[in-house]
Amino acid sequence: MHVVVATDGSPQSLAAARHLRSFADPAKITTISVVAVIRPLASVAFADEISETQQRHAGEWTGSFREAAQGALDAVAAVFDGWGPTVDKQIRSGSPAAEIIEAAEESDAGLVVVAAGGRGISDAFLVGSTAERVQHYAPCPVLVVRPARRPRRTVPRKP
Amino acid sequence: MAEPRTTAVDEGGGLRRSITGAQLFFYTLGDVLGSGIYVLIGLVAAAVGGAFWIAFALGVTVAAITGSAYAELVTKYPQAAGAALYIKKAFGSTALTFLVTVSFLSASFAATGSLATGFASYFATLWESPPALLVSLVFLLALVIVNFIGITESVVMNMLMTFVEVAGLLIIMLIGVWFIARGDADFGVLADISVSGNPALAVLAGIAFSFFAMTGFENTANVAEETIDPYRSFPRSLVGGMVVAGLVYVLVSMAAALTVPTDQLAGSDAALLEVVRQGILPFSTDFMTTLFSVIALIAITNTTLVTIVTQPRILYGMAKEDVVPGVFAKIHATRRSPWVGLLFSAAVVATLLIAGSIFVSAGGIDLVNTLALVTVVLLLAIYALVIVACFKLRGQDEDGRTYRANTPLLVLGLIGNLAILGFAVYDDPSSLIWCAGLIAVGVVLFLIEYSFGSRDRPAGTTRGDPEAASRTDA
Repeated sequence: MHVVVATDGSPQSLAAARHLRSFADPAKITTISVVAVIRPLASVAFADEISETQQRHAGEWTGSFREAAQGALDAVAAVFDGWGPTVDKQIRSGSPAAEIIEAAEESDAGLVVVAAGGRGISDAFLVGSTAERVQHYAPCPVLVVRPARRPRRTVPRKP
Repeated sequence: MAEPRTTAVDEGGGLRRSITGAQLFFYTLGDVLGSGIYVLIGLVAAAVGGAFWIAFALGVTVAAITGSAYAELVTKYPQAAGAALYIKKAFGSTALTFLVTVSFLSASFAATGSLATGFASYFATLWESPPALLVSLVFLLALVIVNFIGITESVVMNMLMTFVEVAGLLIIMLIGVWFIARGDADFGVLADISVSGNPALAVLAGIAFSFFAMTGFENTANVAEETIDPYRSFPRSLVGGMVVAGLVYVLVSMAAALTVPTDQLAGSDAALLEVVRQGILPFSTDFMTTLFSVIALIAITNTTLVTIVTQPRILYGMAKEDVVPGVFAKIHATRRSPWVGLLFSAAVVATLLIAGSIFVSAGGIDLVNTLALVTVVLLLAIYALVIVACFKLRGQDEDGRTYRANTPLLVLGLIGNLAILGFAVYDDPSSLIWCAGLIAVGVVLFLIEYSFGSRDRPAGTTRGDPEAASRTDA
């Protein structure tokens, strides 16, 4: 099975990749495509919050969103190091949901993994998050990973 | 809204880009066309007289030459950082780079203010009751929300709005042609420089005002990195877009000059509407007036959106460079928008609008006029520096695909930029006060970062330290 793992450079997308690795059977997965989508007309076309590179080069900004996307791709791909399936990386450009779906169609994917999107304001304005759109229009099953609650909220209930 | 399905080409290694040459052309055209002609044509007419098309023709020539310098630099450094990056590469001076970045940001703030005020002027022709300041503030807020949600990212919508903009100006040209066909045109007015004093200075004053209409093209550097085959399509689409915009400007100003008495154009806040109000076309004038107002509002919106997208991006880059506080690099967890930068930009523009309207009501300045002039002064200085940077970087980072701008034209462009800059400052030195005020905002941010920046860095790290900026995003 071919699996598409999407990243928008957020820690949530990294957590989604780790979640896949935590339970899936690598023997059943042939290839993992890690996909990052640059949004050319957005204020910040791609924000990398997860890679080593962006920590190493803090204080220097080349203005390249491609570099940022590459950094995030590498960080997510590193999750699957030594796991088994071959990993390929794609930087795409355009509307994230449309591009993730297209990546899934092109590779005839059996699963798409995305981090859960937001609620709230997006509901009010009738424009769904990327995750919602992917769920609705993907050609295959979609794993939407909702991040675990933040540590400060998880008070141990029982001793 | 339709999803823009990309026409991506695979460049190997899974790298795909999505902006085609045609999209870039319309992006440039939409950016340039919306910015000034709807708002400023009256001011230019007032400065020059009936021959004010000359100001547009000369202004757009200087701007298009500057555009060719941008095109050369973009093919060398396709990153989205624009002028700041080129200056950094050419001069290697952190202080100058900071000054240029802050000036560009300030120019963008002033432009947004001027455009929002222009929006309110056209809006008043549809519905008079709400106060102009309220309209411009609500307009600003709406665009900030739209940007936060990400609607601005639709390439399709961008193209549609550009078509509407062009359609509006085609209406004006059609009126001009109809008027000439009826045999009512007095072509003498096109050579009339009816201002007392030196005609060359009058034209120069006109260029200074008209130059606002040429700005915006520099924002195309935003999408350079995502352009398919940038080496070929970027120079063509950028310079081509500006030449077409220039042609449209010249024809529109001729049509306006022929059909409306110059003093009436000069006295109007929504001058192109005066052309439609003449009732030259055989349609209901009321209908045409309403239609045209709506088109003008869309045109202004399109250009303002791009400025509002650019400001948080600049702040984001500066925060990444550790020269402004790290909060400006904060990205909304799910919307992926730099929301702090967006809110801050909106606050600065709102302050400009409110401060400006207080000055106006105190019998002072014309807000659109002043803010446009401030934009022009800041941008002209940056444009001149970009041309110098282009010369300075010749011979570096070049390969066979790099576009090379025409050198004699660049020299001409540099002189043109400096001449207009010199005149604009000489004519209205008070614009320097506004420039200084806006640049001071950037300097204050730097000082905050410099003094307190260590607080958002983990203990024991210093500026530019590996651990630093990343932690502030979390």
